[in-house]
Amino acid sequence: MSDQSPFIQRLELALDWVRSLCILISSIALVVLITTFGWLVFGRYVLNVTPTWVEQLALLLICYIAFVGAAAGVNEDTHIGVSLFRDMMPVTVQKTIIIFIDIILAAFGAIMLSAGVTLMQFGWDSNLPMLEIPESFRTLAITSCGALIFLFAGSRGLIRILTFSAWLPEADLKES
Amino acid sequence: MGLAILLCVFGVGVVIGAPVAFAMGFAALAAFWYEGFPLLITFQRATAGVSVFSLLAIPFFVFAGEIMLHGGIAGRLVKLASALVGHLKGGLAMVNIFSSMLFGGISGSAVADISALGSLLIPVMKERGYRPDFAVNVTVTSSIAGIVIPPSHNMIIFAVAAGGGISVSKLFLAGVVPGILMCVCLAIAAYILSVKHKYPSEPFPGWAEVRRSSFDAIPGFFTAVIIVGGTLSGIFTVTESGAFGAVYAVLLTKFYYKDLSWESFVKSVTGAVRTTAMVMILIAFASSFAYLLALYQVPAKLSTALVTISDNPIMILLMINLILLILGMIMDMAALILICTPIFLPIAKGLGMDPTQFGIMMLINLGLGLCTPPVGTCLFVGCAVGKIKIEQALKSIWPFYVAIFGALMLVTFVPQVSLWLPSLSE
Repeated sequence: MSDQSPFIQRLELALDWVRSLCILISSIALVVLITTFGWLVFGRYVLNVTPTWVEQLALLLICYIAFVGAAAGVNEDTHIGVSLFRDMMPVTVQKTIIIFIDIILAAFGAIMLSAGVTLMQFGWDSNLPMLEIPESFRTLAITSCGALIFLFAGSRGLIRILTFSAWLPEADLKES
Repeated sequence: MGLAILLCVFGVGVVIGAPVAFAMGFAALAAFWYEGFPLLITFQRATAGVSVFSLLAIPFFVFAGEIMLHGGIAGRLVKLASALVGHLKGGLAMVNIFSSMLFGGISGSAVADISALGSLLIPVMKERGYRPDFAVNVTVTSSIAGIVIPPSHNMIIFAVAAGGGISVSKLFLAGVVPGILMCVCLAIAAYILSVKHKYPSEPFPGWAEVRRSSFDAIPGFFTAVIIVGGTLSGIFTVTESGAFGAVYAVLLTKFYYKDLSWESFVKSVTGAVRTTAMVMILIAFASSFAYLLALYQVPAKLSTALVTISDNPIMILLMINLILLILGMIMDMAALILICTPIFLPIAKGLGMDPTQFGIMMLINLGLGLCTPPVGTCLFVGCAVGKIKIEQALKSIWPFYVAIFGALMLVTFVPQVSLWLPSLSE
């Protein structure tokens, strides 16, 4: 996608920045998960004191690693999919399908965001055991994931539509 | 009609190349919408699907594997394997298989195994005159051993999918003999091909070198001992063992081997995040998908259908193997374990098969799918590392398929292969 308009360049830069932020948040969550769980094992078997909040914190952190990390994966296109059948089709059909997938993914993200907001409203009055924070902090992960998928897939679809003649599907890119 | 919508939306999603996890999520959304249920159930089930205590072991195992890859443990294991089996005919192929057994056993990830060992061994094998497709095929097929040799995060997913009634410790023990058996079968296939193609053997480095490389590799191998030993002894839960193993791997590579730089630590963390997120999002939406399959009574219906086709247990087990093999070719492992376990486990139990034996059989089937197009993640990574086309690899992969298929049949029809070791601990 060379010779891009300044708008597209700025958008891609912003998306890259948001994706890096997602990876950073998930990475911090993973490091905290490993450190606190290491501390739990040390406390339980060496100090004979079990920090019980660690288990609940771990269940909260895994949601952020899974959902925020997965949203970054949408931008990086690292999720497992079967492109074999699509690759057999003419280039224009392939490109149309790829844009269709982007639109469907953006719609999925929007529904996820809306469901996440509802779940957060439900969970505001009940607390996560041991952590004493609202249950909504768990569903915030899915809400953020929905918003990020909407942003990444929607923007990518928009860029692909605006530059339809300037890009090739991955399989054809390798061949050329 | 709801089931048809679920399967059609999912099928179309997979065929057009949408990410499998989101195809499952979208299919679940469509089915819930058709049934008049609130759409947010899809996401409630997804959140509940990942908020399972046993599944917390997955990021720990994946992270430990990444640290081993970037912190120098993988290289030391290859050196040990080279010293031990490099002098046999087709020495580097044997080193490749033996290293997979050691490394895969610790990382539990077939793809990590290929990335780590393939990038080290495939170029050397090519230099020493091995055909590139042979080098890739040995690397790709031997990586499946890592899925069944403990500790393996796929075993934890299976235990969760089975409803928690299966002991992870028993699964760990049950995977040892089939894993070694697979490696032996692959080594025999590699040996025959090496004799046929006159591949060289490496000079024996002497017992002093064997001793030296053993001492160098043993602390790294201890990561697996901590994880498996901690779980088997009952001292730790599998999650605690995973956390302890991950912390041990960091401390070992940083302070003992002194190979873990800040850059390689960051690489390990981000790599682990990407893999964990990919696996967990599949688990999340597979939970919603599997919930609907249970709602439509698919397990019971399929069980009845299979029994109608044949009442011969051997035929039914062969059919289950065939279905798993085909599904393994078109879908990812974690999602399939969650979807297929509730469907096929009751049938296998009805035939008198032990659930643990079924689990190992299922993992080998799905592992074989990882080496077969159209999904074949391991085959794709192996071909990318070996810089060859998939068609080139496929032309000469069949002796290795036959080897693994032989091991699979033994696991399916000889219960002692997987159940002998667990029976010793009872």
